[in-house]
Amino acid sequence: MTSFIVAFVLGLAFGFALNKAGLTKYHKIVNVFRFTDMAVLKFMMTALVVAMAGLYALRGLGLVTFPAPPATYVVGNLVGGLIFGVGMAMAGFCPGTAAAGAGDGKLDYIIPGVLGFLTGAAIYGLTYQQVQPAIMAIANYGNVVIPDLWNLSPFLTVLLFAFMSLFLFYMIDRAGWQRKSSDQ
Amino acid sequence: MKAIWNYIRREEWSPYIAGVLLGVVGILAVWINNSLLGASGAFENLVGIIGKAIAPSLFDNMYFNFVMPAEITTNVILLLGIFFGSMLAALTSGTLKFRVNDNEQWKKIYGPQLWKRWLLLFVGGIILEYASGIAGGCTSGLAISGGMLLDPAAFLFIAGMFASGIVTAKIIYGKRY
Repeated sequence: MTSFIVAFVLGLAFGFALNKAGLTKYHKIVNVFRFTDMAVLKFMMTALVVAMAGLYALRGLGLVTFPAPPATYVVGNLVGGLIFGVGMAMAGFCPGTAAAGAGDGKLDYIIPGVLGFLTGAAIYGLTYQQVQPAIMAIANYGNVVIPDLWNLSPFLTVLLFAFMSLFLFYMIDRAGWQRKSSDQ
Repeated sequence: MKAIWNYIRREEWSPYIAGVLLGVVGILAVWINNSLLGASGAFENLVGIIGKAIAPSLFDNMYFNFVMPAEITTNVILLLGIFFGSMLAALTSGTLKFRVNDNEQWKKIYGPQLWKRWLLLFVGGIILEYASGIAGGCTSGLAISGGMLLDPAAFLFIAGMFASGIVTAKIIYGKRY
């Protein structure tokens, strides 16, 4: 029960952040793929830097143990991402932002959007046995994180990622990596 | 205080500030609940519940019994939270409104027909959910949750997502890209 309450409160904050970042809007999501509005990338990378710094610091202090990270099976992760990108650029949402967009009143997300996700989930669940074990058998490294897999210092890995992100933000905001667009 | 409230009420925040909020949420999920954020999994739990009510024998398989059990999980509650959290955010900015087909850029690219938007969102939902299954998560459950743990799977997924997203946008937008 406690975990349900925590999950609900965290969900509220998650949905709040998605909404205020503008991710409930079609153009906000598709324009990152056109390099005309990089808010989605800034939002994601900021979240990653904050969370990885906090989590690795907490782990270093012995205050948390990580839950099992999503499994790495190279072909499936990559091919899944490739198919996902097609859907995301076409429809301008993803599972989380669809729930958030439904919350601010978009009936397009509440009705056909949710029905689409449920249909996709049904098809996946019913074909799971035929598809997933075969994909997961290829180049499967299990539930690993990069510092353990490549024997890197977690501190330096997080620092490197943070600097890469800051460099990227600088190039987008100051050095013109964001393209001008005639629409919106 | 007033300045902070005024900022909260803005329709759009700086993505950096919204990103910090999401990052903190990601930390708290691990710290308090020892769990990861996710969205696509909730649809699998939900359709399992629906499927078992409508076609019990069809949905009585390994997947809906064990892999993604047909029950209310913390992921389902989280998804509900996302819905109401966004509603709350829209209330603060006065943008909460039940409406259809309201995106100007969408209409410019695909045309104004509502059936077209609904069809594309329905098909998009199927593609996105199936792809999440293959990849092992979506933008929340794999890209953000995996990425914050420095999980290689997350970065493979993000690379694939951006590569095909860019190509797809180029194809759809053509000269207007």
